[in-house]
Amino acid sequence: MKRVILILCTSFLYSCSSSSSDDGSTGRNPNDGIWSIPISQVLDGGPGRDGIPALVNPGFTDVSAAGYLNDLDLVIGFKKGNDVRAYPHAILDWHEIANDKIGDVSLAVTYCPLTGTGIGWNRVINGKETTFGVSGLLYNTNLIAFDRETDSNWAQLLNEAVNGELIGKEAELIMLFETNWGTWKKLYPQSKVLSTQTGFSRTYGISPYGDYSTNNNRFLFPVPKDDRLPSKERVHAIVGETNAITYRFPHFISTNIIRDTFQGKNYLIVGNEDFIVSFELTGALNNLEFEFIYAETEVLLEDNQGTRYNIFGEAISGPGLGNNLGSSPGFMGYWFSIPAFYQTEIYSG
Amino acid sequence: MRNIIGSIILIIIPLFSSAQTCCSGGVPLSNNLGLPNEGKGIFIIGLNYDYNNLNTLNAGSRELDDDSRQRITNSVLLNLGYSLTDRISFETLFTWVNQTRTINQFGFENFTETSGIGDAVFLVKYSMPELLGSFSVINYGLGVKAPLGKSDHTTPNGIQLTADLQPGSGAWDGLGWVSISKGLDFRPSAAISGSLTYRLPGKNNSYLNNTAVYQFGNELQANLGYSDQVIILGALVNPGLIFKYRNVLEDEIDGQEIPNTGGEWVFVRPELTIPIQQKFHLSTRVELPLYSFVEGTQLTPTARISIGVSYQFSKEKNDFPLNNTL
Repeated sequence: MKRVILILCTSFLYSCSSSSSDDGSTGRNPNDGIWSIPISQVLDGGPGRDGIPALVNPGFTDVSAAGYLNDLDLVIGFKKGNDVRAYPHAILDWHEIANDKIGDVSLAVTYCPLTGTGIGWNRVINGKETTFGVSGLLYNTNLIAFDRETDSNWAQLLNEAVNGELIGKEAELIMLFETNWGTWKKLYPQSKVLSTQTGFSRTYGISPYGDYSTNNNRFLFPVPKDDRLPSKERVHAIVGETNAITYRFPHFISTNIIRDTFQGKNYLIVGNEDFIVSFELTGALNNLEFEFIYAETEVLLEDNQGTRYNIFGEAISGPGLGNNLGSSPGFMGYWFSIPAFYQTEIYSG
Repeated sequence: MRNIIGSIILIIIPLFSSAQTCCSGGVPLSNNLGLPNEGKGIFIIGLNYDYNNLNTLNAGSRELDDDSRQRITNSVLLNLGYSLTDRISFETLFTWVNQTRTINQFGFENFTETSGIGDAVFLVKYSMPELLGSFSVINYGLGVKAPLGKSDHTTPNGIQLTADLQPGSGAWDGLGWVSISKGLDFRPSAAISGSLTYRLPGKNNSYLNNTAVYQFGNELQANLGYSDQVIILGALVNPGLIFKYRNVLEDEIDGQEIPNTGGEWVFVRPELTIPIQQKFHLSTRVELPLYSFVEGTQLTPTARISIGVSYQFSKEKNDFPLNNTL
């Protein structure tokens, strides 16, 4: 009898406090297994897996039809040949990932509204094309995406799978360019822009996070802070394995071009008050001198041999036509998010 | 007559609301407190089940065309009331909570669930009958909500869940309540009642592994209702209709307001109480939103259904409120 009572009590206590989580369609838990980041610091952000729906093959509209954007709204741009596309924060705030296909490029534009980081990933992994979804999980208040092919979880700011079959696999970065809408319109007036007809009913143009992007004190989840700069200052970060270097907009007041070396690689960082972009210099490019010739068109630089480069680093005219600047592992984001993941130095000249 | 009013209070006055979430999916203490003071030495026990379904996504007061997310809270509530004197009574409410979150998107379903003992309410009440004339009673109450429930549930693989899905709040809350009920002179079986409650949430200082301080938003709730006694199929039953206004401020983390929390709502709640035996009765309630305004974008209540029984233990015979009206 005592044993029965004990079993009943144990069952009761168990039923009194428990939790579960699974993918109801398959009956498995998509977050099972080993994590390469401390799982105690992985948080369920609230909306749940796919609660923030990623976009898949989204629709686009013309610049002139994107009336929902103001000139100061930020957009993330991508260019493949003559196909130029803008992915506004105003839409990504609600979807965080846009799975797109531009020519032969399978691109995932990943954007975390809580860290302000927009990073492009190749959706072809190990030879298979996948789409990324929003896991609803956060690490250091940063997006954890998952790929639908293997259900592996990917930490955006680490650019690698941190759980699942592909754990340890690094994302192949695709260069994106972030600026404000007013600037983008001048750069690429013929570009396509994400349409608000996404198939989802959302209040595009109204941030779901209020003044989060500008309020240095507002955080929704615990994350380490670094008081060297205001938390929400937008910086350009170039990241390595464990280290990063950041460039601030004030760095580009007196000059528009910075040549720097980070972890043995040479970079060209170019900016003004509206954008910062970086390129890796390899081979003969290291021997060139560059001049900032930006005049509100896509043309950004000219080297001392007369080759002109656009904002994506493509050589668009001159003797070096076709000899592009190298893409760098660089992206824009809120300051606090970089030292939360990387040993970070601030460029000091 | 006091007992008639008492029964009306029992039926229609909702008390404390302790929704723990940005989307009002928390433990429904609101509809399950408010036992009347039936006189010195009387003990009342109630057991209720509450189902709260949130499947409506709002941006402000605008309903979005999106039903992919669903939150359901199932609660079992044990209510105990004891009258120390004819004026002073105590009431407690213990809860067990089951919360689910289901997302149906892209042909996939994701399901998360937590269960556990929830927070408990301890309340001291003071009654002043006949203060507003005959057939009237005013009640005041002060109490606390004690953090008996767990507020640090993780998923089975150790991922921390936010306050939204926790059975408990991890904080002591202060509660204040006042209610007024007035029987109608021209129809003694009917009464109009109102109540006002305020919840002052405390801080959960150990939120997310002691890395943050979480505080739910202050909450005001007002109710206005009418109840009566009618005979249906030969049985005397107590129907009631209540309008509820609820206003919740935004939650805070580390002193900063959290977007997409807080809002205000107006509900209509038809209720029906049926005496089964002298001291035993059954009550049912349906609560439907008439107006919902949420801060930002949130899931907002779609429908809530409650059913419960209560039993009165008393020293004297035939003093159960409903019995006097049979």
